[in-house]
Parts: sequence; structure tokens; C-alpha cells
Amino acid sequence: MASAATPVIRFSEVQVLFGKTRALDLEDLEIFPGERVFVLGHSGSGKTTLSKLIKGRLKPSTGFVRVLGQDPAAGNRRRRRRVQRQVAMIDQAFLLVPRMSVVGNVLTGSLSRVGTFSSLLGWYPAEEWRKAEEILEEVGLKGLGHRRVETLSGGQRQRAAIARALMQEAKVVVADEPTSSLDPELAEDVLDLLVECVARRGVTLLVNFHQPELARGYASRFLGLADGRVVYDGPPRGFTEAHGAKVYRSTRASGPPGEGGGGREDDFAPKLDTPAFGSGL
Amino acid sequence: MTLRRSWTLRLLAQACSWLVASLLVILALRGAEFDLGALVRSGPRFAEFFSRLVPPDGSVTTLVLRSTWETLMIAVGGTALATLIGLPMGFLAASNVVPPGLAHATKFFLGFLRSIPLIVVAILFVTAVGLGPFPGALAIAFHSIGMLGKFYAEEFETADKGIVEAVAGTGAGWLQTVRWGLFPQSVPQVVAFTVYRLEMNFRDAAVLGLVGAGGIGYYIQLYVRGFQYEKVAVLLLVIIVVVAILDQLTYWARRWVR
Repeated sequence: MASAATPVIRFSEVQVLFGKTRALDLEDLEIFPGERVFVLGHSGSGKTTLSKLIKGRLKPSTGFVRVLGQDPAAGNRRRRRRVQRQVAMIDQAFLLVPRMSVVGNVLTGSLSRVGTFSSLLGWYPAEEWRKAEEILEEVGLKGLGHRRVETLSGGQRQRAAIARALMQEAKVVVADEPTSSLDPELAEDVLDLLVECVARRGVTLLVNFHQPELARGYASRFLGLADGRVVYDGPPRGFTEAHGAKVYRSTRASGPPGEGGGGREDDFAPKLDTPAFGSGL
Repeated sequence: MTLRRSWTLRLLAQACSWLVASLLVILALRGAEFDLGALVRSGPRFAEFFSRLVPPDGSVTTLVLRSTWETLMIAVGGTALATLIGLPMGFLAASNVVPPGLAHATKFFLGFLRSIPLIVVAILFVTAVGLGPFPGALAIAFHSIGMLGKFYAEEFETADKGIVEAVAGTGAGWLQTVRWGLFPQSVPQVVAFTVYRLEMNFRDAAVLGLVGAGGIGYYIQLYVRGFQYEKVAVLLLVIIVVVAILDQLTYWARRWVR
């Protein structure tokens, strides 16, 4: 397993091509244990592609990706799952299971540790129940565990999604624009919570983010992406307005219409994605 | 193409489809030897039938209730068995759960089950298993699997892919992902289809007795063919009441799982 000196995540000469469009072009990129990396860039800059590579949902066109020394997209289903469970994803749409209680959703995070048969019946060990209740308290959802997720507010749903990710006990947590569907006042609360929970566990955090100013207080490292290339990589204090301009003003010279390629990744990604989990899982 | 031109073309296309549909209906009516005159001429016989329904003959009430109960049990047992087998079949026929090739094959098989008329299935089971309600329940189950499996599969296929992926992404296994990521999304529709099928199965089961597969159907043919209409009246009343009760129960069931 990774020691302090070996990177948790390693990209080497990675390129991702969607047709003729280069979505991502990295030389070498290493992320070390305990880092809090905020990936900055507008839609279509390659942020989502980056997290998909880490989760093993996408294979690079060239080069290789290593998570804890393993290729997350290689090997059979069982082996891929073992690597992938070390990466917990928090989607901006939360992706909680509807019609299920908050605690049911949180317990889902423990499925990889629970025996198949008992988990199909919904029978979780006492140990997992204890963890789930502790995590619910940690994220400020104590007393709401029995509520169905549809009855929660946006901020509460985000907390439930964080709780499920924590329950997974992964080595890496990837959050995709965790504040994009929240009010500005709630955004800081959620970032506080996310960073605290992650720091307490000493795991690595990657956050796809839009607001450099807000991120400064939380990040240990900024990664600025524009048109699939790294334009800034370093501590937040070195990130100047000039860098900001580079990250947020750039647009692709070529390619289909639509300024700045907003949503371009979404247009291309599904075709290359491993299909749902039917043949993929 | 100008706006007006495309508008006119659409009108023409619509007129054509109405024409084709009308022709098909006319063909069908001729095929069914539709004869309005015969319907009108049979009026008096209908009137006689209805007038002879009253007064209902209460002496058969116990008998009718007992055989209706048997019919209900055929429907419930058959539907339960069909659900038990239909659910796994539904998963095997959903292209987002299993590889598309297997899903297509299963769908084809379910279509084959659906295409055999219930009465044929019932005669088959009666021949094999013997007279009584048991072959009736088996026939109901066999026939329902085809429809339920197909409906379940289509419902599973509409499940939110992102949510399923999120659960799979926690490291959950295939069965765990189906159970805790996909299935919860489909529960309301699964219940709705199942109870709807139960209603249909009660009505189907009511005629199974005609081929010796138990329940109220035996008495339907006995009394109708024997012109004992005052006993038929009791049969009809009981069936109507049971259907109404089932209707209400299934409505509650659907509301409860929303």
C-alpha cells in the first residue's frame, strides 16, 4: 500500500481523445496522500474526464493511470471493483437512491464489506450500523436517518451524499462541483464539512470546482485546467489573477459551435463510457 | 419548403392515415361477420335473459361463495408464483442489468409465453396434472410470467443510470447493485403491474372452470347452459362485488408504495 512518499494517483503521458477532440492531455501528474486538490476550470476543460479516469470509468487513449499503484480500468470486474471502491465519488446531482431512507443510502457505502446474501436482505452487521450512525452525526444529519431522501433539502442531500462516500472508507474522495446546486451560504458549510471529514481520515481529496477565491481556504493544491491541459499546478497562494484568466477565459479555437465548449464533455462522454453496469460491471 | 406547404402535406398525410385505419376497421367488421340486424333482432332474447335473472336464487349462495373463494385463491396463488418467477426473468430481460444479447433472448422467450392463449395453457395443465384448482393456478402463473416479466424489464430499464452507477461505484457487487441501486427505483411500478395483473387474473380464473381447472367457471357453464338464470344472477353479483373489492385493494396498494 501507499506510503507517504508514493503517490496515491499517478497520471503518465495521459491523453484522452473523443473523436478528434482532445479532452485531456497531461504529462506527468502525481497526487500524494492527504492532499486536497481543487481542480479548477470551466465546463469542458477536462475536469470531469479527469475524475472519470480516476474512477476507472474511462480508459485513456494513450498513457496510463494508476490509483494506489493499480490501473482502475484494467482487469476483470472483480479486480476493477477492488480498485474502484478505494475511490468514493460525490456527484453534483448527489445520485442518492430515491424511495430509500437516509441511513439506507449511507449503509449502501458499506456494501463491499458486507456479505452478499445478508446485504440482499438488508441485514447489515452491528458494526456497520454503528459506523453509519456516527457518520450521520458527523455530517449533521443526526435524527434524520429514517427520513426518505426525497424529503430532504438540497443541503441535507449533499450531506447524505458525503455520508455515503465516507461510509465507503475509500482512500480517495472525488467531489464533482459539490456546491453547484446549493445556495452561496450553504456552499461554505458544505466545504467546511467535506474538508474536515476528509482531513480527520487523512484521505486524499479531489474537488472539481469553479470558484478559486472560495477554494483558497480549503485547498492544499490548485490544479488549473484549460482545454484539457494543465495551466497551473501549485499551492493556492501562487494562483494569481493571470492564472485565473487563463483558466476561465480560454476557449477552443476549433470544434463545434457553442462558446467555451460548455457541456462538451457531456456530449461526448456517454458514448465512450462503460455502459451502465450491465456489461461493464 | 414553405410553412404553408408543409402544413398542407401534414394534413394530407393525416387524411391518408385516417383512410387506411377506416379500411382496416371495415375489413375487421366483415371478418367478424358483423351484422347490426342480427343484434337488433336478438333484443327480445336479451330482455328475456335479464328478466329471468330476478329474483336471484339465494339457495346457491354458499356454493357460489365457496367456488368464488377458490377462484380468488387460484388468482392470488398464480399471481404470486408468476411474480416470484417474473422478477428474476425481468432482471434477465433488462438490457441495463445483463448483456443485451441475453436480455433480447429472455424478452423473446417471454414473448413466446405470452403468445400462448390462456385456455390452451389451462387445457394442457389439466391434461397433465388432472382436474382441479391446482392446474388452474399453474396455468394462470405460466400465462402471467410473460407479461409481468416484460413489464418488469421495461421498468428496470427506465431506472436512473447515474444512481445505479453511484451504487456500483461504492464497490457493491452486481446483485447488491441491482438490489439497492436499481430495484428501489422500480418498486412502485412493480407493485402497480403486479396488482393490476392480479385483477386480470381473477377474471381470467373465473372462466378456467370451463375446462375443468377449478373455481367458479364450472358453475358458470353449468347454470348458463342449463338456463338457470336466477342462479347465474347470484354468480354475477358475487363476481361484481369481488372485482370491486379487488379494485379498491389494489388502488390502496398502489397508493401505499408511491
